[in-house]
Amino acid sequence: MTDKYMIEPDVNFIKDIEALGGDTLKKCFQCATCSVVCPISPDNKPFPRKEMIAASWGLKDRVLKNADIWLCHNCGDCSTKCPRGAKPGDVLGALRSLAIAEYAVPKSLGKAVNDPKKLPLLILAPVIIFIVLGLATGLLDFTPSGDEVVHSKFFSTWLVDIIFVPLAGWVAVIFALGIKNFVSDIHENAVLTGKTDKKDFDQKDYVLALIKVIPTILKHSKFSECGENKERSSGHLMVLYSFVGLFVVTNIFFVTLYGLQIHGPYSQMNPVKWLANISGVALVAGGYLLMKSRMDKKDQTSSYKDWYLIWLVLGLGLSGMLTEITRLAGWAVGSYAIYFIHLVFVFNLFAFLPFSKLAHLVYRTLAMAYAEYSGRK
Amino acid sequence: MTADKAAPASGSVLVVGGGISGLTTALETAEVGYEVFLVEKNPYLGGRVAQLNQYFPKLCPPTCGLEINFRRIKDNPKIKVFTLAEVLNVEGVPGNYDVQIKLSPRYVNENCVACDECVKVCPVERKNDFNFGLDNSKAVFRPFEMSFPMRYVVDGAACKGPECAKCVDACKYGAIDLKMESKTINLKVGAIVWATGWTPYDANKIDNLGFGKYPNIITNMILERYASPNGPTKGKIIRPSDGKAPESVAFVQCAGSRDENHLPYCSYICCMASLKHATYIREQYPDAKIYIFYIDLRTPGLRYEKFYNKIKADDKVFFIKGKVAEVSEDPATKNITVVAENAVTGEKIRETVEMAVLATGMQPTAAISKPHAELNYNPDGFIINDFNKGGMFAAGCANKPADVVSSNQNATGMALKAIQTLVRR
Repeated sequence: MTDKYMIEPDVNFIKDIEALGGDTLKKCFQCATCSVVCPISPDNKPFPRKEMIAASWGLKDRVLKNADIWLCHNCGDCSTKCPRGAKPGDVLGALRSLAIAEYAVPKSLGKAVNDPKKLPLLILAPVIIFIVLGLATGLLDFTPSGDEVVHSKFFSTWLVDIIFVPLAGWVAVIFALGIKNFVSDIHENAVLTGKTDKKDFDQKDYVLALIKVIPTILKHSKFSECGENKERSSGHLMVLYSFVGLFVVTNIFFVTLYGLQIHGPYSQMNPVKWLANISGVALVAGGYLLMKSRMDKKDQTSSYKDWYLIWLVLGLGLSGMLTEITRLAGWAVGSYAIYFIHLVFVFNLFAFLPFSKLAHLVYRTLAMAYAEYSGRK
Repeated sequence: MTADKAAPASGSVLVVGGGISGLTTALETAEVGYEVFLVEKNPYLGGRVAQLNQYFPKLCPPTCGLEINFRRIKDNPKIKVFTLAEVLNVEGVPGNYDVQIKLSPRYVNENCVACDECVKVCPVERKNDFNFGLDNSKAVFRPFEMSFPMRYVVDGAACKGPECAKCVDACKYGAIDLKMESKTINLKVGAIVWATGWTPYDANKIDNLGFGKYPNIITNMILERYASPNGPTKGKIIRPSDGKAPESVAFVQCAGSRDENHLPYCSYICCMASLKHATYIREQYPDAKIYIFYIDLRTPGLRYEKFYNKIKADDKVFFIKGKVAEVSEDPATKNITVVAENAVTGEKIRETVEMAVLATGMQPTAAISKPHAELNYNPDGFIINDFNKGGMFAAGCANKPADVVSSNQNATGMALKAIQTLVRR
């Protein structure tokens, strides 16, 4: 008797891919040009041909649990050379977005982040939380006193922390759950599809592999192997480093505030302020470069999920820098208003981190570590 | 009623292109009794078929079929052949066309007996385009052994002209006239069949497949010339870098075909051609290994399928499902490494071979130089037949990618369409 393999296509999954920028999916005729021209695809079970057919057949489990969709850096070489205009690069982008939604609970929030119609809600949510919580606790003062612009008089640091510290906790919990499932899934998939010989998952080795890939990420070495979409690398690197810089700054603020009781704003001569300013400028510049490269690449599909993140990055950077500039200029009303907007952006970034495209920060890192761990070449 | 069937204003048919489709249309029309003008831009008839070593699937030499056609033309007073001729302009309506034709000078008249004396004295060499520039011929030459009309020709661009004239002196028959000039003639015809055929897609445009960059990457039509007894190596298949008999050959299917970046359509013949080429190589080199990289093999019909199955049974021919998308060369050995993903096993393959053959497809010649006539084309340059309008029809590969059999069937049909245009007027 021959082996029977029954595929169970998930038609809605195919529709989801098409809605998220992978509308060219069905043009694929499996010639495998993509797997060969991809500069970063391994020799053993290369991507993205196999992902294209799995996606086209609606094999949701097989494709979303596959770490290879994360090894892809969307260089676009596959899409350029594709003889059918099937744009594997864009399809894999859509798959990543679906994978993010799959691993983050509650799933409805994941859907909302990918749905442009829900954008007003995503913006309104922090506004309501800020105002309700602020008025209830009295930590939000719409008529701050004093000649000097001090943001904490308007929007108390306490209020910021009451909101954002638990938020960070919730993000961590969601990510932790996602990561647990994700790593076990990609391992299972790798064993199933013959990408690795290591049938038993060794946690220690995996962590070592994770440490090993950090320099690769920080140097963006995979990005620079790209052929078509190389120029995007610098913008992406700037955004990454500015986030790292701002993360450091925020932590220093937090520690000095609660540990040493030193309040902001810091002097412009303070090295921490330098780091903050440089990071802020880099965030805006990097965001601009990313936006520009997306706009210039007419053959690449840019969907809402892509623009959401780019506008978030740009909005965050611009509102942050403007808050500071208006503060230094002494324009109280403007500065407070912009600060409020800035916090709305920060909330969006934080709260929806595990649900938005930005979650690639975590999943791509884990997938690259798994590729390193399993010795894919 | 009788008025409808009155003799047409013009009872002639113009056939543009003297390849296998044009020959067929011309003969079928003439043998029914209509006057035919056959216009060919080359100095010989036979077109692409004349360049082949063997037909698939019977593996007989095409010269055999061509010879019969040439014989029929010679015997038929209804056919007037113009070689070195190009249609400049077409005006008029179905049943009544005015066609302007440019006749380029052959510099050799009908006195020529093909004795070859002129070639011996000619001091100038030119790239032999019949062999895709693989060898040279003299500026006065015979296109190939049994080219028709059996008359030599002087390449006006290469020839030094009357100041040299060594060939003129050498010719005992007064057949060479280097002062011949081009002229334009006008023909009145009732119907036109465009059999302008195809041109091999320019492999230089496929930038990831290394043609023109690495000498041991050739095209399928170049392989035909190597394999042909009247080709540059007298039929011996060699690799260009060192003339060595290749011990391993990779075939790259769909090189530029079924590809939106090149030709978006399937060129129809390349799969069968590569399978046929496998037989050429296996016959000459019984130990040679052949790798055929394909997206899917298209061998339509019972006879082609049988041919494929026969090749598939050969244990030295390997079929790999996966398109070659990257090539490289070892600078020391000049061997070629082709890279593909085997879509069945999901592994990337790097096969190093001594020679690679790109199975390039066919581009309609009309896409490269559009005839000056009111024709409809599809986006790829194939001529769309408008049977309601009638009058002008495309036959063979001017209409769609086709093999010789389909081209002949199609050409016969277009002969009938042309005749209908004349009669129904």
